[in-house]
Formats: sequence, C-alpha cells, structure tokens
Amino acid sequence: MSTLINITSLSWKIQQKNILHNISFNVRKGEVIGIIGPNGAGKTSLLRCLTNQANILANSNISGSVQLKNRDLKQYSAKEIAQHFALVMQKNDSIFALSVQDVMNMGLLPHKSFFALDNDHDKAQIALALDKVGLRHELHSHFNQLSGGEQQRVLIARALVQASQILILDEPTNHLDVYYQHQVLQLVSKLHITVIMTVHDFNLASLYCQRLLLLNKGELISDGTPEEVLAPKQLSKIFGLPCQQNIDAITGATQVSFYLEENRLEENRLEENGLVENKIIDDKLAAPIDTQCASGSLSE
Amino acid sequence: MNKTSITLFTLAALVIVSAIASITFGPAEITSSELMACLVGNCQSQISNVVIWQIRIPRVLVALVAGMGLAIAGAILQNTTRNPLADPYLFGIVSGAGLGATIANITLANHLTVALPLAAFLGALFSVIIVVFVAKVIQRMEQLLLAGVAVSFMLASITQFILYFGEPFATNRVMFWLMGSLARVEMSNFYVIGAVLVIAMLIVAALHRQIDALLLGDESAASLGVNVDKLRLLMLGLCAALTATIVAYCGGIGFVGLMIPHIVRQIIGVTTLKLILGSALIGAIFLIWVDVIARSSLPHAEIPIGIITSALGSLFFLFIMYRSRPIN
Repeated sequence: MSTLINITSLSWKIQQKNILHNISFNVRKGEVIGIIGPNGAGKTSLLRCLTNQANILANSNISGSVQLKNRDLKQYSAKEIAQHFALVMQKNDSIFALSVQDVMNMGLLPHKSFFALDNDHDKAQIALALDKVGLRHELHSHFNQLSGGEQQRVLIARALVQASQILILDEPTNHLDVYYQHQVLQLVSKLHITVIMTVHDFNLASLYCQRLLLLNKGELISDGTPEEVLAPKQLSKIFGLPCQQNIDAITGATQVSFYLEENRLEENRLEENGLVENKIIDDKLAAPIDTQCASGSLSE
Repeated sequence: MNKTSITLFTLAALVIVSAIASITFGPAEITSSELMACLVGNCQSQISNVVIWQIRIPRVLVALVAGMGLAIAGAILQNTTRNPLADPYLFGIVSGAGLGATIANITLANHLTVALPLAAFLGALFSVIIVVFVAKVIQRMEQLLLAGVAVSFMLASITQFILYFGEPFATNRVMFWLMGSLARVEMSNFYVIGAVLVIAMLIVAALHRQIDALLLGDESAASLGVNVDKLRLLMLGLCAALTATIVAYCGGIGFVGLMIPHIVRQIIGVTTLKLILGSALIGAIFLIWVDVIARSSLPHAEIPIGIITSALGSLFFLFIMYRSRPIN
C-alpha cells in the first residue's frame, strides 16, 4: 500500500498549552484508522490539522509538517484539499429545511466552477452514492427529519459525491443507537477508501478499524493494531481504571472492559490486586455485543 | 419543466402584470385603455402621458427594484448567518442612514437632492463597518445581530441628540424621510438601484454553492473548500451596499427583507439560488402593491410606505409565531 499522508513532528500550542505534541505517523492508502483517547486528548484537533481547515497549518503556533502525496498540505488550495479530504462532522443540524438532495449537492462544490448548475451526470452520481448508503428513496426528504443514523449516512454519501480519497469522520457514532453505530461503521469500513476517524468507543473502534492511534494530552501514545494499542496497562494508566483485554467470542475482535474494583466478581478479587494483563477468552467477561449486529450484515 | 421552474415563471409573469396594472392606481385617474394607448405611444391626453411616463413608471420601477433588493439582501444575510431573523435593518443600516440624513439636513439644507442620498449611503456604510469591526473583535458570527442592534441604538441616540438641539424643520424632514417614501423618486434612481441589484445578483449566483455550503455549519463549509470568513464578509458588504443604495433614495422601508424570504422558503426552497430568485420576484410584487396602497388609499395624502411595510411585517411576524406554536 502506498503512503498517502506523512505527518512529521506535528505540534500545536495554544496559550502555552500543548494541544498536540510531536506527533508523527503515516497513513497508507485504503487503511481504516481509528483515533481514540480520553476527552481533550487532541483527537478532533488532529483531524482539523489533516484537513487544514481555515488554513490552520499557517497558524504560527503549529510546527511540524503534514504532507499529502509527498507535498506539503500548505501548498494545496482549499479547493484541492476538499478534493482529497471529505469531512463528516458530529453534528450537522440546519435551522432551514434542507432536503437530502440539497445536502448531497454540497458534495459537488469542490468540483464545480462559478455559476455552474447541476447536470445529469451530477444527478446520477448523487443517486449512486445514496444507493451505496441505502437511502436513495429519501432523496426528497427533509434532512432534519431523518434519524441520526440516516443523517450520518447521507453525509457519508455526500463525501462519496465529493469523490475524495480520504474520508475523515469526527465521532460518527455519537448520539446514535447501538444498531446505527454498527451500521454506520460497517458502511464506512467497506467503502474501500482511506478512512481516518475519531471513535469514542474502543470496542467499536477495534471491531471496525485495522489500525488505532491512541492519543493522550496531545501526545501519540500508541500506534498499531487494536490488539497492540488496547493494551490494558496503557489504558489503565490513562483512564485511571483497571482494565481487561478480551477476545470477543463472537466477532473475534479485541475488546476491553473497564471496571471499578468494587464491581469485581468475588472469585476474581482473589487474584492479585492491580492490573490484569493476561488475555482471556471468556463469554461471561467479554464485552457483550448485539448478536444480531455481529452475526449478519446490517441493513435498514 | 419542474415545479420550481413553473412557480418562478408564474411569479415572473405576476411581476410584469403587477407592474403594468399598478400604473393605473393613484390620485390622477388613468383607465386601463388609456394606459395601453400611452404605453404604445398613442396617448390622447398630454396630462396622462406626463403622469404615466414621468411619475408612475419611474415610481413603479423603483418599487420593483427596491422590493427585489431589500428581499434579496434579507435572503443573503439569513443564509450566510444561518439566522432566519437576520434583516439588513437589524444591522444598523437604517440608523446609520438616518444619522447621515440628519447631518445632511442640518448642514447642507440647500443641496439636499444630492447631499441627502449620498449622506444616507455613507451613514449606512459607516454603521455596517462598525458592526463588522465589532463582530471581528468579538470573533463570534452568531453575535453579529446583537452587535447590529447595539450599533443601531448608538447611532439612533446620536441622531436624536442632533435633532433635539437642531432646527425643527430639519427634524420634520428627517422624520418623514425615515418613514420611507417613493413619492419623489426619479428614473435615475431606478438605474442606480438596478445596477447595484444586477451586480449583487451576479455575485450571489456565482457563489451560490459556497453560500449553500454554509447552511450545514461553518466547519462543514470549510471542509468543502469554502473560505468562510471571506465569503461572509463579502456577502455582508454586498447586503450593505444594496440596502444603503435603496435606503438612500427611498428612506426606511422595514421588514421586507425579513418577511419575503420566509415566504419563499415555504413555497420554493431554502437553497440560495431558489431563495434569491423567489425573493426577488415576490419582493418586487410586494413592494409594487404596497406602494399602490401608500399612494391611493387616502384621498388627499400619501401614507409613508415604511409605515405600511412595518405594520404588515409585524402582523406577519405574529402570524408566523401563532402558526408555529406548539399544538397539544
């Protein structure tokens, strides 16, 4: 897989506070990467640097470099960046009654010149993208009246119309029911494009991402497979809670569970106090997962 | 042809019909057959010819472009600030124009034909510059409207201070001017407002996708390649120029920019191209007929047009609130 993005020694300081500190990693084409970490770890800030929003990288408090296809991101115009990166935000309400079609049309923007109107090719592209997320029948519906999961899927379809090679998602599963969490992430992981997303839920991240980046206080703590990054010792240190790593019996994915000492089952209390590092395969302790979601493919 | 096109064509036809039909209304009686004869250059009465070509037609045409301009300014402002209550008048434009008009009335009373519109225009631009400056300092676009209201009160208090200590005749003139009127407009006013309107519409049509992108939030727009701050500043400047030009010639005509886009969103759509086309057409029809009411409802006097638009606008506002009340 060829390297798309090189991030080297990226640091961002606001009023003496390190938002990001000395972050370096590469993104290869086609990877599905999850960025995890506690609140305020710098996850969303890192995404902002990637898309160079409002020329963030020109900010004097930012050092290091972000390269896209071996060229500094600062050398790209806003339009070129939009042709490479598509962003799906957490919250996307509009006070005006936009239709799904209106939202989809926005995705055409980076490829249109001034005055340009929509043509038949654009309409076909939009229909195709909505087909991929299973929402073609909602073309004329009001965007605000869709469920949270459907809105996320429309925005993912908009990203497809934007025809960018890299899809950036900021907490795509926030405010979603468990069914839609899986539906959205499964959709994203099967698009066969490069995906970088922040995910709050470690177990979801582990299930759908090939690679995880763990951030804490603006620093990149760990970069690797879910199994490597979700190391209990590391997570316990960051979150201040004992943690256990399991292999989920149904999906085979690495899962972690946090617990308070007082909630441990009696027989486990006999074990040595502190951090449990050994991996176990145990149905009872594995994080439960909706069997319907895990066993079959998801659909409306 | 789709539903939107049919609606827009129907509205365009209504604009033309309204413009022609409204010429027959006014203190001097003109029948429709007389109007038709005069329009094709076959006028029987010299008086009717003068009334039609030198008084009514300029007035109807100015009402047409002023209605278009005020409605479009409101539409642009609402979409770029994502605030359905945004109105060029809430950005202190009228208070600024009022201050300019007051200063002109006090200091240049003998040259008012030229000085009044110019001073009003400069005053309006001055207020917008202050509002934008304040919004830049506080770095919060959502508070632009509040900054506008504050600046509006500040400029109004300066105006009132000057008028209180100034001569009573100037006070009267300014008060009447602020109420808005199309009674003294000329054909040249139509050309100036029309030119600004055409430029504004071309710029908005060129950037309609960028403005649409703002409707789902600044961050979403930026990710689509839009320079949000620059775009918003450009649009604000455009609205200011448009409104200031209209206010300079016609005085204060409130609520058009607030009311018309609201109606357009219900019947045509919310995206920029649909919104500005619909607003232009409905705004034109609205102001043409409101001016008919202004000049023909009382036997020997005119009602200032701003009084009528404000009265209708506030009733409309209350009606909208009534309709959107929670129903148990």
